Amino acid sequence: MTRRWGMAIDLDKCNGCGQCSIACSQENNMPIFKDDSDVPKRVAFLDLMKVTNDRDAEYPNVNVAYIPKMCQQCEGNDPNNPVPPCVSVCPAVATDVGDDGVVSQIWSRCIGCRYCQVACPYEARVFNWWKPKYEESFKKSLNPDVSIASRGTVVKCTFCSHLWKQERDKAVAKGELDINAVTYTPACVATCPTNAMVFGDLNDPKSEISRLSKDKRAFRLVHTIDDKSPEEQKKLKATRNYPSPKVYYLSSKQWVKDMMKFK
Amino acid sequence: MSEAKAMSDKTRKIILGVLWALVAGFAVFAIQILFWGLGYTDMNNVFTWGNWIIGDLGLVALGGGAFFTGFFLYIFRVDKLEPIINSTVLIGFMCYLFTFVFLLFDLGQPLRCWFGFAYPNWGDGLLPTSMLTEVFFCLSLYFCILFVELIPIALTNKWAEKFPVLKAIGHYMHKLMWIMAAAGTFLSFFHQGSLGGGMWDVLYGKAVWFREHHQLFFIAIIAATAGGTSFMTLCPFVAGKVMNKEVMPKETYWTLTKISGVMFVIYTTVRIWDVYTMTTKFVPSFDRNYLDLWGGYYGIWLLVLEFLLLLSPVIFLNIKKFRETEKFMAIGIVSGVLAIVVSKISVLLHGFSAPNFPWRKFAAYNPTIQEWFVTLGVFALMILIYIAFVKWFKLFPHLEHSEEDH
Repeated sequence: MTRRWGMAIDLDKCNGCGQCSIACSQENNMPIFKDDSDVPKRVAFLDLMKVTNDRDAEYPNVNVAYIPKMCQQCEGNDPNNPVPPCVSVCPAVATDVGDDGVVSQIWSRCIGCRYCQVACPYEARVFNWWKPKYEESFKKSLNPDVSIASRGTVVKCTFCSHLWKQERDKAVAKGELDINAVTYTPACVATCPTNAMVFGDLNDPKSEISRLSKDKRAFRLVHTIDDKSPEEQKKLKATRNYPSPKVYYLSSKQWVKDMMKFK
Repeated sequence: MSEAKAMSDKTRKIILGVLWALVAGFAVFAIQILFWGLGYTDMNNVFTWGNWIIGDLGLVALGGGAFFTGFFLYIFRVDKLEPIINSTVLIGFMCYLFTFVFLLFDLGQPLRCWFGFAYPNWGDGLLPTSMLTEVFFCLSLYFCILFVELIPIALTNKWAEKFPVLKAIGHYMHKLMWIMAAAGTFLSFFHQGSLGGGMWDVLYGKAVWFREHHQLFFIAIIAATAGGTSFMTLCPFVAGKVMNKEVMPKETYWTLTKISGVMFVIYTTVRIWDVYTMTTKFVPSFDRNYLDLWGGYYGIWLLVLEFLLLLSPVIFLNIKKFRETEKFMAIGIVSGVLAIVVSKISVLLHGFSAPNFPWRKFAAYNPTIQEWFVTLGVFALMILIYIAFVKWFKLFPHLEHSEEDH
């Protein structure tokens, strides 16, 4: 059985500490610039979005939720034939979707046309607008398993798939040759202090992620087709592809779910 | 032509000075962008493309007049278009050349531009998977064709005419140009559609752009034939005004604007249908409202402006009385060109400004000085090349005939 990696993030447990974002940046060699408050130009795979029920409301009427947003690893309508919106558009085949459903990106193949960024409905891809810089001692902490991107290339979250490779290498050393024998945990999930993030194989019906993806509290980011009846969904999907991300969010608060709809 | 006074020497010098200043600015900022990267632009991870892609879309659509004029002259044998073909080929060539320049600036890794040919995203079938792959190939091939088409014009200068061999080559190439025109039409058909429309309508994750069945692809081709023919009329018309000479027989203008007028009627019709399908079918499939997508700095006025501008070519270029009156013809072609430009601006600005998340506001884009100089410098360079060709080559064969007659 092939893997189909997915993630679930419990927004009821998330306190917005930002550890996931820091761990992600550390693991994936994200550069740090003088002014990283320039959010639209920042290079980070994991963006912590703050949403509120009402910008002008005051305590106790104001509600806030933090949504960690990384590449949603879209698969289109058919999990057996994944067609993420960003993959087919790349003119240089720098991005692809693997058997495990992870959308990969080869920094060194990317020509920097940013067409994939245009296609991504989740603003999950980032571009190196400036030359990545790593000051002094920071260089020593760089991760040798993730290549440093050049200026002018698009980079993205790959569900830390290099960690899966590490686990597979370890298994091979022990004589295990099945590529799907091992699982792994991405950096953001491993570091989450409240266990709000769960990672696993959506193809495995016994996995926690499979259970959570079917939970009543589960929803996907701005994916309103999920709210429709199965018949209506089938009819709509016959006409066109829908992103169908593999990242699920869980919340018991109705206002958070309501935020996913354009009024 | 009216008896307007020729431009004074002083005005001429001022205009040339401004054009050269823009080109100088282009040279300086081009180095900065190419060597130090796109950080100096106002583009960002939300507003991913900007000025230069608007320039690309505009130049390619308006340059598309070259293939359509060539198609009518060489395939349908509309001989009245013969006097304008040199000018259209040159404009087409420049439009495509500078589209490449803009595209190169827009690449984060310009030195890897050949990856598009070396590792094309073709997929399994004959058709490319990525619309940009199609743009890479069709644009380059058609550029080669325009280059070949330009050779006979380049051989018309006084220096080349001293050599009978070059003159003969130019003459016979001109005779065989229908082959190039046919191939050019075929290629243009595809890349006009892909760069202007197909590239956007495949983006199924984005409510602002998505359409089924490559709807925008075909609309973009019609836009190019309509706006392009108007632009091809506009350039020699302005040149004639500046020189205060009759550079083109009136019949040539009337023939081309007649074609343009018909294409504008078709374009307006399909564009109305496009807006209708967006409103009733495509945008609602995202659970969004078409009118709500228009907002922020680039509101619905862009769409209204496009349709208002479309009115004049539809009226003035299709009614003989207006078409053959210089003033109305000029208003018609200028409005037509502007309508197509506005439609491209709206694809970009409105498309990127619309928020992807319900809690986000409309985004804004304010091009930096680097982006402005690169954009305007390219336009200035195009005008200067056109002036050079008017001066040293037989860009307007009619001009020489009429001067000989005098």
